[in-house]
Amino acid sequence: MSTVDALVSRGGIGRLLLGTRWPGWRALPRDARDTLFLLAVIAWTVLPHASHLPTWTIALVVAVLAWRGRVAVSGGALPGRWMLVGVLAVAIVLTLVTFRTLLGKEPGVTLAVALMALKTLELRARRDAFVVFFLGFFIILTHFLYSQSLLVAGAMLVSVWGLLTAVVLAHMPVGQPSLARAGALAARTAMLGAPVMALLFLLFPRIGPLWGVPQDGGSKTGLSNALRLGSLAEVATDDSIAMRIRFEGPAPAPSALYFRGPVLTRFDGTEWTPLALPFAANGVAPRPATVRSEGAPVRYELTLEPLRVASVPMLEATTSVTPTDGFAPSPRDDLQWLLPRPLNERVRFHAEAQTRFVLGSARRGAETYEARELPPGFNPRTVAWARALRDHAANRDGDAQAYAQLLLARIRSGGYSYTLAPGEYGRDAIDEFWLDRKEGFCEHYAAAFVVAMRAAGYPARIVTGYQGADPLSVDDYWIVRQSAAHAWAEFWQAGTGWIRADPTGAVAPDRINRSRRLAPPPGFVAGALDAMNPELLASWRNAWEAVNNRWNQWVLTYSRGQQLAVLRRLGFSSPSWEDLALLLTFSLSTLALAGATWAWFDRHRVDPWVRQLERIKRRLASLGVPVAPHDPPRALAAHVRERLGDDGEALALALDTLERQRYGRAARQRPDPGVDRIVEVQWRRLRSQAGR
Amino acid sequence: MTTTPAAAVSRGLPNPLARARARVRGWLQSRLPKSDTQLLTQNNIYILPTKAGWMFGVTLLVLLLASINYQLNLGYVLTFLLAGSGLVSMHVTHATLRGLTLHLRPPQQTHAGTAAALELVLTSPGTARFGIGLRALEADASTLVWTDVPAGGQAVVRVGWVPPSRGRHAVPTLSAETRFPLGLFRAWTVWRPESALLAWPALEPDPPPLPAARPIVGGPSSTRSSDGGEVEGVRAYRRGDPMKLIAWKKAAQALETGAELVSRDTSVSTRRELWVDWDAAAGLGVEERLSRLAAWTLAAERAGADFGLHLPGADVAPAGGEMQRRACLEAMALWRAP
Repeated sequence: MSTVDALVSRGGIGRLLLGTRWPGWRALPRDARDTLFLLAVIAWTVLPHASHLPTWTIALVVAVLAWRGRVAVSGGALPGRWMLVGVLAVAIVLTLVTFRTLLGKEPGVTLAVALMALKTLELRARRDAFVVFFLGFFIILTHFLYSQSLLVAGAMLVSVWGLLTAVVLAHMPVGQPSLARAGALAARTAMLGAPVMALLFLLFPRIGPLWGVPQDGGSKTGLSNALRLGSLAEVATDDSIAMRIRFEGPAPAPSALYFRGPVLTRFDGTEWTPLALPFAANGVAPRPATVRSEGAPVRYELTLEPLRVASVPMLEATTSVTPTDGFAPSPRDDLQWLLPRPLNERVRFHAEAQTRFVLGSARRGAETYEARELPPGFNPRTVAWARALRDHAANRDGDAQAYAQLLLARIRSGGYSYTLAPGEYGRDAIDEFWLDRKEGFCEHYAAAFVVAMRAAGYPARIVTGYQGADPLSVDDYWIVRQSAAHAWAEFWQAGTGWIRADPTGAVAPDRINRSRRLAPPPGFVAGALDAMNPELLASWRNAWEAVNNRWNQWVLTYSRGQQLAVLRRLGFSSPSWEDLALLLTFSLSTLALAGATWAWFDRHRVDPWVRQLERIKRRLASLGVPVAPHDPPRALAAHVRERLGDDGEALALALDTLERQRYGRAARQRPDPGVDRIVEVQWRRLRSQAGR
Repeated sequence: MTTTPAAAVSRGLPNPLARARARVRGWLQSRLPKSDTQLLTQNNIYILPTKAGWMFGVTLLVLLLASINYQLNLGYVLTFLLAGSGLVSMHVTHATLRGLTLHLRPPQQTHAGTAAALELVLTSPGTARFGIGLRALEADASTLVWTDVPAGGQAVVRVGWVPPSRGRHAVPTLSAETRFPLGLFRAWTVWRPESALLAWPALEPDPPPLPAARPIVGGPSSTRSSDGGEVEGVRAYRRGDPMKLIAWKKAAQALETGAELVSRDTSVSTRRELWVDWDAAAGLGVEERLSRLAAWTLAAERAGADFGLHLPGADVAPAGGEMQRRACLEAMALWRAP
């Protein structure tokens, strides 16, 4: 009913918009009502795209739908074909101008939406209606390219329901069937189809993309393969979830949760980039990292959002990852876990990590050479400052570790402050930051630290990734948000290996120890809610995220691995995708057979009234009462009275009762077993009499 | 089963393939049992995907490809939800016809070339049925008559059918179809009713006026029981008296007193008889001649006169009223040149 109510209010808005006399929802002619309903469904389907479509598309859709609604209510003429072709051509040209291409996700969605709106102006034949429905289903799918959240799923479920209702309406040509009726029929069809859906979803073999999908720029990603000063600031304000982690056993302290992403060694003065992949250059397989670990390993499960980076941020220092769903990340010697292609889907990994470790070899390796390079001509003051610090009498024989401690001490006591909005830095950004303004966040500290180390001749590099997790776990899952993106440093200590140094921890220990992120100012509503009852907001958020997590774990991450796990639970010892296909075929055939059996059974089903009468007629015939196939109970009663006289009066009365129950004023819905019982008793009595 | 309307349309073409198809179709139809009541079961319901159904399949394929390529689990959900609904809709479409009882009421006579309304009663023993279309199998799809059948109830549908020529025709093979609920499948049944329909000759659209009545050549009136006389009298209403003969004022009085209707007695001094005569329509082809006679018959009945029909080898004695008209038209419908 709520849909209908919503439609009524939409109609009210429509009247205000259109200025057409509104006859009232129930007084509308059928055609007009169905068209308005379809328009409302289309509007609802397109609505979530409003935020990422160009303005002209929104304007076009609103104008076309409003016009079509007006035509439906007032009964004007639809525009001619040439006009439609003209508008479509304009839409294509505008798409070209906006996106410079017609291929790809954004232009495709824009064109599909425009086409759908224009098609409503051409609803003449049944074929046109079907084109709208199929385009509608397609547009519903495009929403999932942007978000697969529960909210979007719910909204699109409503859309599918609306579209199916419109289809059903189109196939009820008689009279004026109510929307509720058609909606119920559509819902029934979909509900009955749900088992098939569940079966297909569970068992349809998941395969990788069939061909390369064009990647879209401008997507929000936490980590990229390059770092410029200021580039992480935007990420740090993004509160969306990057990954979820669950530990088998006690969780390590938040300060130990470093998720290692790209390791940036090359520095060209403005940008930090990783070393070229060794196997990309000469085809040599990557050397695995050498990790010397202490203590027991931590086993954990990581559910990664589609981050679109090939470098998987695994917990430091992850020593082994179980390949999942055809994803087998391989470790590089700098302990990055790399995938052969960027991650476009949600994946769950099981892995093992050592939180206390030393990385790399104790002897100077090739990677340490590049980790000492500084581009000439950049940040001269910092370089000079660092060399002066090294050459200071007290520090002259110090090793890298001692020097790093000096730097950290300087950060702690040198008047530095941590802020997400340090403002723009110029060409010699490190100079400016390190010596003058002293305001910045993790990437500034990490970069300045590395530059100073290198200036002093010690190998050092930047590591980017995530640090920390939400302080409260949601049903055992710890949430790592994009805002936990972090940059820290590593330096090489002769005789030991690479050692982590987090200069941010020196200036803002809270950021590391308690994973407290610097929050941007909250929005108005959130601010008001927060002021009234901070716990309430937090608990709502936690509950919502718990539901969302279930959704993610059960629906969105369902993939090859889980499929095979389901098969294993069903008793397959070593399931393969052939088993999946076989099981799917078997289940679908069973379903089809069940359907056919039902239809067959249905054919042999007889009206219970008829069955009862047949039963009684058989009894009467055995008593010698003449029975014709067309005799109603009344006629049978007459025959009984005629044949058996007073002896059969009770039987005749029962037949009269049956006649009333079947055809009388207070006719019953179903046959009365009481009549059967009376007939049975009388029949036994009469038969035994006849026998005597 | 390939008895599609398309085959019916192409029957007229001198295409050997079309002829072969028509023959196969005729053979298939002749195998159907003839009955005025038909219960629809799995044995006589056919179902195939419609064009929209194939389109739907293609759409599902595109959705599936997109889901695979973009690794969208919700895309899979959408695709499979639609696939499941489509599958269920097939069963629903079939079940819309299954269990229905079709019954043909005795058909009414009509003129050749004008539509006869075949009254069909659809009975649903169980659930409500929606969107059932009926038509003569050979007729165009646009002639479909749509109906719903309430749960446990009946619906009456009038299907128009134009008998091509006069004479006795078997009621054409009928078909009932449905695309409910999603239009992805079309379920249909082909039904050969047993009844026959008598088609009267077509009516000439603009017939020349009725030839004048001829005076009776001698003998007493054979058509009127009343005595001759100048004065117009009244008599009791007889079945078949035209409306204009009824003396309404007198009839009203008579009815008040409990008597019957009263008709005017139009006996005249010289009795004349009206003959709808084959020979009066000379100079035309056989069917055109019969058409004119049929038009005259109607005109004669309208005029309220007694009339007889004269055909070579078949005469209908003069009488008046609707019964006489039917008798004459039937004689013409069944007449064959001697």
